[in-house]
Amino acid sequence: MSVLPQLAVSALLLGGVYALIAVGLTLIFGVMRVVNFAHGEFLMLGMYLAFWAFTIWRLDPYVVLVAAIPLFFLVGAAVYALVMRGIIHASHNVQIFTTVGLSVALQNVALVAWTGDFRFVRAWHSDAVLRVAGAAFNLSQLVAFALALLLTLALFAFMRWTRTGMVMRATAQDRDAATLMGIDTDRVYGFSFAIGIAAVGTAGVLVAPLYPVYPTAGLQFVLLAYVVVVLGGLGDMVGALLGSLIVAAVEVGGSYFLGPAWKEVLYFVLFILVLVFRPAGLLGQRGAETLGV
Amino acid sequence: MLLELTAVTKRFGGLLAVREVNLQVQAGELVGIIGPNGAGKTTLFNVISGFLVPEAGEVRVDGRDITGVPSHGIARLGICRTFQIVKPFGNLTVLENVMIGALTPLRSVVDARDEARRVLVRCGLGPWQDVPAKSLPIGLRKRLEVARALATRPRLLLLDEVMAGLNATELKGMVGLIRDLHAGGLTVIVIEHIMAAIMRLCQRIVVLHHGEKIAEGPPDGVSRDPRVIDAYLGEELALT
Amino acid sequence: MVTRYVTQWLPGIFFGLAAATPLVTRDAFFHDTVILILMWGAIAGAWNVAGGYAGQVSLGHAGFFGLGAYSVALLAVRWDLPAWSGMAVGAALSTIAGLIIGYLSNRLRGPYFALATIAFAQVLLIVASRWRELTKGSEGIPVPFRPGFATLGFPSKVSWIYVALGFALAVWAVQTYLEHSRVGYQLAGVREDEDAAQALGIHSRRLKILAVAASAALTSIGGSLWAAYIGFVDPFYVFSIDLSIEFALKAIIGGTGAALGPFLGSLLITSLETYLRAQFSGVRTGFTGIYLIIYGCALIIVVRFFPRGLAGALAVAGRSGAAPVPQPADAA
Repeated sequence: MSVLPQLAVSALLLGGVYALIAVGLTLIFGVMRVVNFAHGEFLMLGMYLAFWAFTIWRLDPYVVLVAAIPLFFLVGAAVYALVMRGIIHASHNVQIFTTVGLSVALQNVALVAWTGDFRFVRAWHSDAVLRVAGAAFNLSQLVAFALALLLTLALFAFMRWTRTGMVMRATAQDRDAATLMGIDTDRVYGFSFAIGIAAVGTAGVLVAPLYPVYPTAGLQFVLLAYVVVVLGGLGDMVGALLGSLIVAAVEVGGSYFLGPAWKEVLYFVLFILVLVFRPAGLLGQRGAETLGV
Repeated sequence: MLLELTAVTKRFGGLLAVREVNLQVQAGELVGIIGPNGAGKTTLFNVISGFLVPEAGEVRVDGRDITGVPSHGIARLGICRTFQIVKPFGNLTVLENVMIGALTPLRSVVDARDEARRVLVRCGLGPWQDVPAKSLPIGLRKRLEVARALATRPRLLLLDEVMAGLNATELKGMVGLIRDLHAGGLTVIVIEHIMAAIMRLCQRIVVLHHGEKIAEGPPDGVSRDPRVIDAYLGEELALT
Repeated sequence: MVTRYVTQWLPGIFFGLAAATPLVTRDAFFHDTVILILMWGAIAGAWNVAGGYAGQVSLGHAGFFGLGAYSVALLAVRWDLPAWSGMAVGAALSTIAGLIIGYLSNRLRGPYFALATIAFAQVLLIVASRWRELTKGSEGIPVPFRPGFATLGFPSKVSWIYVALGFALAVWAVQTYLEHSRVGYQLAGVREDEDAAQALGIHSRRLKILAVAASAALTSIGGSLWAAYIGFVDPFYVFSIDLSIEFALKAIIGGTGAALGPFLGSLLITSLETYLRAQFSGVRTGFTGIYLIIYGCALIIVVRFFPRGLAGALAVAGRSGAAPVPQPADAA
């Protein structure tokens, strides 16, 4: 079974990136109780940011990363103010179609501005291969994993040990009680959304060296992110982490045993199965999905 | 015996919401269920109306066991309930709301519309027929809730706190409406928190506390029962 | 007064004009646009049966569309069967899928259900694009043209106008039925408040399942017609999430609360799309994406500020002043 270390390493590296994407989504859902269908588009924008910075200014994505975090935070804040704020208390349908509309608009802005051609970020580390303990992976994957993990853990720490993080968690648990305690829920929602977008935009920058960049790139990732988040329990960050690893493992394993063609079917089927049999996920609140919470 | 509950027990995790409650209601009665908040009154209604399945005990209608029959089936058996927090079909007109109730016993939309109009007039909602339900103030929403249930032509009406949030005039109107419906032959069980109204209205009162039935009988007897007074301790003026 | 008659007669005007197209012009491009407006309108209307009338928002209806399209294509190519059989098979498959998804709608609310439908369509997309032995994979399948009624092989666009019109009228009729029938009212109750509807004796779960299944079948038929008309089935198109979103988009912008709504939405969106495509084809094809940017933003605005869509706006314009709301003091 000498292939196991390889599979494990690949899964781990992939899982780290998925975690960063999923954690942002979980945050947005956990605090705002809104399913953001446009999440993948911000990933796509992050990928394009890395691409253009690399193409125009020869900037390595990992340098761009530093700027990406505050940039996407601001983007998130702006989107919140313009679009999301108005729909927090609206019906499900309004929420669904607002974020779907946003998704369509963003995808097509990218399409019109940059065409549908596949772009690639070929940094020096994209092709550098390392071998450790019988597993091979390329440097980009490792760095993406490391940075993603770092950022995810930073987010965890923030949520756990800072006052703002606590306020956010409180609002997630009971928004009415939070309001009564004098918490400005609007600020909390805006902040949560901004962080969530910062996380996924940054993840986009991180994966740009690894995947082709095109306007609908977000779709694959967002569906994946939702599989992760549903698996882990919508709203539960530790669950999102766990879910990332599981989905990454399924993808890598599926790709190896069934071929890359069928691995997607595998995790979609997994998704539907989870939705049907354990929609609260592994760690999430049972009944959250039927309460529409 | 129209409705009979035997040792009905409902548990939520570790919480025993309803504990071995027995209840008997004859056709034509007007029974009130009272109790402090959390006593299990609405849970009891939820069990009777099929929204919850009890862990133990039986619910019988005309001797037939209906425990576990789903909510939509209960209404077809002639039992209709209202909700404590009113649930109007907001975007539909008042008339359409009641029509939907009428479409349970009736097949034809035209007949249902006529029936709905009659019911609305009977409940004093005639002038608001074509108004969207969501624009009604709370007093009228409560009436709509009753009217809609009435349109299903029930034998037994379960009214869950239909008087909460009403002002004095509205209250009088609602009490009059219930009395009128009862006089027309309907069996009614009323959950209420507002003592004054329920004491005047009902022939028999059942008192729940912590999920158990602690007293039962005519209004004056119950209001003087020391266990009942004790249960309401801290709830000022509750019994007057 | 005049405007009120407009809204009542609007469906007649709309379908009448569509029927009169061949009399007005011989321009094939114009005919083609009318056909597409009718077809997409009908499919948006089919979506509306589940999404609007039953309140079950699906973002995976392309799954049913694709099943209908592929059924026609495969049965024709592999077994030389006429398009009607393909349509029937597609409709049957979609009905079954619709029943299953309808069942899911009882376990999952709102966004979760939408996510499940996305996954459903995606699975079909992947299967269709990878299963070379069955579907020729990502190449797609051409739908052979064989003249005749049974094979939907109509030589002229004019015949297609009437085929599309027939389908459109059927879907319009189904929606209208849902507005005035017992089942329709009950469904409205379920949509507004499921618990309250159940308390009134409505079997909400069964109604939702049936609505989704009906919607699925109709969408599938639309897909079959479309495949026969266009002549080519590409898995990346017929099962795409973009297509699913477009169905919903047309219904919502046009107005989900009116039977004509989806057709109005289709009129608006399809016309703009074909206009832009004509203007920009060959120059910068990316420009056709502009209409989607507009509609993405329009969706955001419409769904929040104009929930009744275009049809609702017209209906409001048609009402010559609303009746005053009676005050509680008016009560008997």
